[in-house]
Amino acid sequence: MHEDLLQRCVDEALKLGASYAEARFHRHIGSSMFTRNGELIGYGESIREGVGIRVIVNGALGFSASNSLSWESLREAVAEAVKLARSHAKLMKRPVELADARLGKAKYEALCLKPLDSMGPEEKIAVLAEIWERVKGAVKEAKVMTLTANYSEDVEEKTVVNSDGALVVSRVPRVTVGYNFVLLHPQKGTLQRRFEFGGSGGLEQLGRWKPAEHAEEEAVRLEKVLLGGVEPPKEPVDVIVGSEIVGLIVHESCGHPSEADRILGREAAQAGMSFIKPGMLGQRIGSEHATVIDDPTIPGSYGFYLYDDEGVPARARYLYKNGVINEHLHNRWTAKLFGVESNAAARAMDHNSEPIIRMANTYFAPGDHTFEELVEDVKLGVYMRSYMEWNIDDIRWGQRYVGLEAYLIENGELTKPVRNPALEITTGAFYSKVDAAGKELRFYPGSCGKGEPMQGVPVWFGGPDVRLRNVKLGVVA
Amino acid sequence: MAERVSDLAGALVAEALRRGFEEAAALVWRSKSVMVKMFNSEISVVQRWSSLTVSLYLAKEGRIMVSTIHPSSIEKAGAIVERAVKVASQLKPSMLYAPLPEPAKVEPLPGLADKSVIDAMSEPEPLAEAMLSEADSLGVERAAGAITLSLSERGLATSKGVKLEEEATGVEAYLRAFIGEASGQWAVGSRRLRPEELRRVARTAAELASQAKGEAKHVEPGTYDVVLSPMVVGNLMNLVGMMAGALAVMMGNSIFARVQPGSKVAAEKFTLVDDPRTSELLGSTAFDDEGLPTASKPIIEGGVLRTLLHNSKTAAKMQAKSTGNAGWIYPHAWTLSVKPGDATLDEMIREVKRGVVITNNWYTRLQNYVEGIFSTIARDAAFYVENGEIKHPVTRIRIADRLPKLLSNIELLGKELYDISWWEVSPAVRAPYILARQINISRPFE
Repeated sequence: MHEDLLQRCVDEALKLGASYAEARFHRHIGSSMFTRNGELIGYGESIREGVGIRVIVNGALGFSASNSLSWESLREAVAEAVKLARSHAKLMKRPVELADARLGKAKYEALCLKPLDSMGPEEKIAVLAEIWERVKGAVKEAKVMTLTANYSEDVEEKTVVNSDGALVVSRVPRVTVGYNFVLLHPQKGTLQRRFEFGGSGGLEQLGRWKPAEHAEEEAVRLEKVLLGGVEPPKEPVDVIVGSEIVGLIVHESCGHPSEADRILGREAAQAGMSFIKPGMLGQRIGSEHATVIDDPTIPGSYGFYLYDDEGVPARARYLYKNGVINEHLHNRWTAKLFGVESNAAARAMDHNSEPIIRMANTYFAPGDHTFEELVEDVKLGVYMRSYMEWNIDDIRWGQRYVGLEAYLIENGELTKPVRNPALEITTGAFYSKVDAAGKELRFYPGSCGKGEPMQGVPVWFGGPDVRLRNVKLGVVA
Repeated sequence: MAERVSDLAGALVAEALRRGFEEAAALVWRSKSVMVKMFNSEISVVQRWSSLTVSLYLAKEGRIMVSTIHPSSIEKAGAIVERAVKVASQLKPSMLYAPLPEPAKVEPLPGLADKSVIDAMSEPEPLAEAMLSEADSLGVERAAGAITLSLSERGLATSKGVKLEEEATGVEAYLRAFIGEASGQWAVGSRRLRPEELRRVARTAAELASQAKGEAKHVEPGTYDVVLSPMVVGNLMNLVGMMAGALAVMMGNSIFARVQPGSKVAAEKFTLVDDPRTSELLGSTAFDDEGLPTASKPIIEGGVLRTLLHNSKTAAKMQAKSTGNAGWIYPHAWTLSVKPGDATLDEMIREVKRGVVITNNWYTRLQNYVEGIFSTIARDAAFYVENGEIKHPVTRIRIADRLPKLLSNIELLGKELYDISWWEVSPAVRAPYILARQINISRPFE
């Protein structure tokens, strides 16, 4: 329904002197609710809609947005974008150009097997209340100091039209459920866990996630960590990094540094830069087991899309392949500068946001080991199953993950729980020390932040459990 | 002439009451903003936004709903009330429910809007050029950053008869300057545009980059005295301010979850103020989202926790009084100020036997909010200090410690204050340099 209006915006921009123009209708309709100790605190709804206009004039980029859909407002937004670009064109040292691309004319949607409105707010709140009931009853010696749980859903609809011929209409519904609890013991202190489920699709996902059961099982295990966790070994040991942490590691230390705009320095003052420099394709970064893929097309994924916001068809990107830097994430601008084709990484959070290079679903490729096989030849080591604290420096080289649920491995068996082991390691060391990967691939949702103004977009992080040899762990002060 | 935002809010409240809600509040923002983004010492994109945002609070029989919309027209905002009627009947009462407060006298806050910001919005590029050329003149090889100018009207109406509005401008500017591998970053946030301040940001970033030239070395993990710049203090005070929110406390996301107001939580020299009545600070405002007057007041004073930040709901739940910090659901700090001390930066460095100076940081994350177990990464210029002298730049270090310990180990505060706002500092913070003793520093395994 918006196609004609968007085409009119594009035509208007060209008429005003733009060499490229793009108009994107973008709407989010969502609702959310959160509870504390099983009781509802609040319910919220949100609607964001409007049109983002991006143009190139005399080699400079201009962007403006309007949430009014009247032609008068849109025409003003187009004129504004053209004016902004033209006014700083004289300052450009290197004009912005886009690589040629095969652009889509397509319409797609992520399917909801069980529509979002097939359950009322009351039933959704009951899902959250059950998490509290199960966790409350799960701990024996510790107390649940507090538990909050949240549910949210969002339907993202877009129509992208540009002057190079793209016309892509999409609809992606998403659901998330999360919880945050604090276990308290008078002598042992507190332990805190946050966890979230998320994916695209409908309420059928709740049946797969079983959030209350998951939270209960975690609470049982984490109480043991709180009550009996020991310090990690001080000497270097083998570490089995759990899938949840592996997923985050590849997002932070492969996905982000592979963003070509970051490699060029466009995000230098915000999300930072990259240890990967132009010309590093083909360089070794890790062992042959280290393959990291970013794939927007995984059905049901939180970062799902089939065409990016420049209209380029999406595909799996092999960022690190068997330990070698293989491919970066590109939009059409960086593709031109690198002399390659865009691999469809341009995404915008909403109508107010310019499309920039983003990940979708980044994962460490699974290997062939069962969990038992990973553990069996470890003499002394630590298995880090989950985490709370993490961070990475702005070139994506030095990173830290603090284990929450963790266990000592002695002579091939998990023995005592370990409290707060810190895996603080360089990117090179992490990928080089992987000597085996598990066969079971699991995914976790997140909202990835980048850009100015900050844009949060949904992504999945994934991976199997992987084994690192001979790593020194830190101890939380 | 455009309709007043408080009238638009009033119309939405009337519509909600007409449709059967017992209470309603509406906030309407009409804003314009422009951002110039820079990298490799040139402008990468100029973006302009013009938006209308509407937030509605609706209550009936203890059930509460909050809707936030960017409507394509104000009529569409009315439609959401109709939808809310259906949803409200399916909700349970909120455990946090308390009635909206009765109107109280709100003293307007003069000086929130600066005409020079409004004037500069039509052509912001010269400000960016001035920052880039200042950095360039100091030998910077390349610089990146952003300048954002904004003008926003905020209108509030509630079913208790509140009808308020205010207009405010905003300036946020930051620059990261590079010389080889060395970098320095600085920032400013204010309601007012002072071009000389923007140039000072560029100059400070350039000077830090210049000081950080030379081979950056590792320091061994262990405890060090730390001198933290206002950029770092701003980032960490955001965390303390967030944790002072009463709902954060109730949700287990706060170091104040197990202490009562009146408890000692920091060094005696340390005072942190929620400072909405200082009009030049970005975030300043005369009234909160429930229509109560704001007040500048200490959260921590002389090292003692004085108050959590409340709205009427959390106040009712915790037998306290609202502090004028609504958020209808989440109470929050408006803008934060750290009380200055009497030291200069040089004096602080002279006091350090073995320590580090950290001028910028990012990516602060917590293992446990109740215990305040956190780490944050030093970014840009950082230096190793021995026997009162800067020895060399350092690389790839983290502060990895406990927030309560850091607050308690503050020994000196700088006499000069800086107004900081950027990607990692929001809301804005007015802060000095600080010196804290014996803080744990870590670094990655290679």
